[in-house]
Amino acid sequence: MNISTKFNTRKTILALAVLIGSMGVSFGQSESKIVSEKGHIEFLSKTSIEDISAHNSKIKSSLDMTSGAVIISVPMQSYKFENATMQKHYNSPKFLDTKQFPKSKFKGTITNLDAVDFSKDGSYKAEIKGELTLHGVTKPVTENATITVKGGNITLDSKMQITLADYKIAFEKGKPSKNIAKTIDVTTKIEFTK
Amino acid sequence: MKKRIVKRSLIILGLVGLIGVTIILYIMFAPHRDTQSSPVDFNLSAQELVRESLDDAAATNDKYLSEDGDSKIMAITGIVASIEKDFDDNQVVLLKAETDDAGVKCTFMKGTNKNAEALKIGEQTTIKGVYRVAASYDEDFEEYEDVIVEECDVLIKEN
Repeated sequence: MNISTKFNTRKTILALAVLIGSMGVSFGQSESKIVSEKGHIEFLSKTSIEDISAHNSKIKSSLDMTSGAVIISVPMQSYKFENATMQKHYNSPKFLDTKQFPKSKFKGTITNLDAVDFSKDGSYKAEIKGELTLHGVTKPVTENATITVKGGNITLDSKMQITLADYKIAFEKGKPSKNIAKTIDVTTKIEFTK
Repeated sequence: MKKRIVKRSLIILGLVGLIGVTIILYIMFAPHRDTQSSPVDFNLSAQELVRESLDDAAATNDKYLSEDGDSKIMAITGIVASIEKDFDDNQVVLLKAETDDAGVKCTFMKGTNKNAEALKIGEQTTIKGVYRVAASYDEDFEEYEDVIVEECDVLIKEN
């Protein structure tokens, strides 16, 4: 073997190593998974006394188009209320205790993935079943969602109701027990780009 | 004489009542804290904050979060890695060192967005904002989540 063949063999081995290495990287990260930081959650509490809503646009989400997995991570102190005193109550240890539980998370899967065609423009009804961790408590939840595919964009709109007592958020006495609904509406909108 | 006492008592009662109502109304309709006109609690680099977070996210949250949500106000110095818009069309500036796994994501507001737009990728800047949550590795996303800081404005721009 002369010097040049030896050099070429080395080069081939190096190229192969780089190729295998890069394959490892692409296999490690699922290509069908898209991550988005463009999303919004609103929760609404409706009682005969008053309606209270809060908004959060700091959510991070991921959607796996192959497995149907949906993950939403929510920084709890990013919820904004119109009324500053209400916002302080919401954050306090008596309510959501956001210092102790600064993030909540939804982990779920689209149950009727066959009905959703991510490659074709259209609007699809989807059911997402999973678990919600809020205030340190994890409970099963089901979200009814609409997935809209338009060009390279996928929008996920979902609505669900959560019962506060399930997550150990209870108001037994005083004004909050009358002014805050026992079950609140949670509306989520997430924009994914393929 | 008796009449005068009654009159004075009524005036005093009225004044006390008025003060009481004012205090209740103030508590009920108190404005939100203005992050930008409040003093800075912590001055540190994006790299220091990220390392502190990744070392112990719980301890970092405990240090910078307040129970009522008016958490610590930070002045964070770092290199601008990206500038993007969020769902509300507010500018989000990521301060992140190339060698770090995570950065500090600073969300600007309606009145300060233009100052974020004036920043350039790769330049060093100091951003003031309120701390929301620590950076951490998320096993479900299989990637690092950044520190979140909100209600931001540019404090110092170094050329």
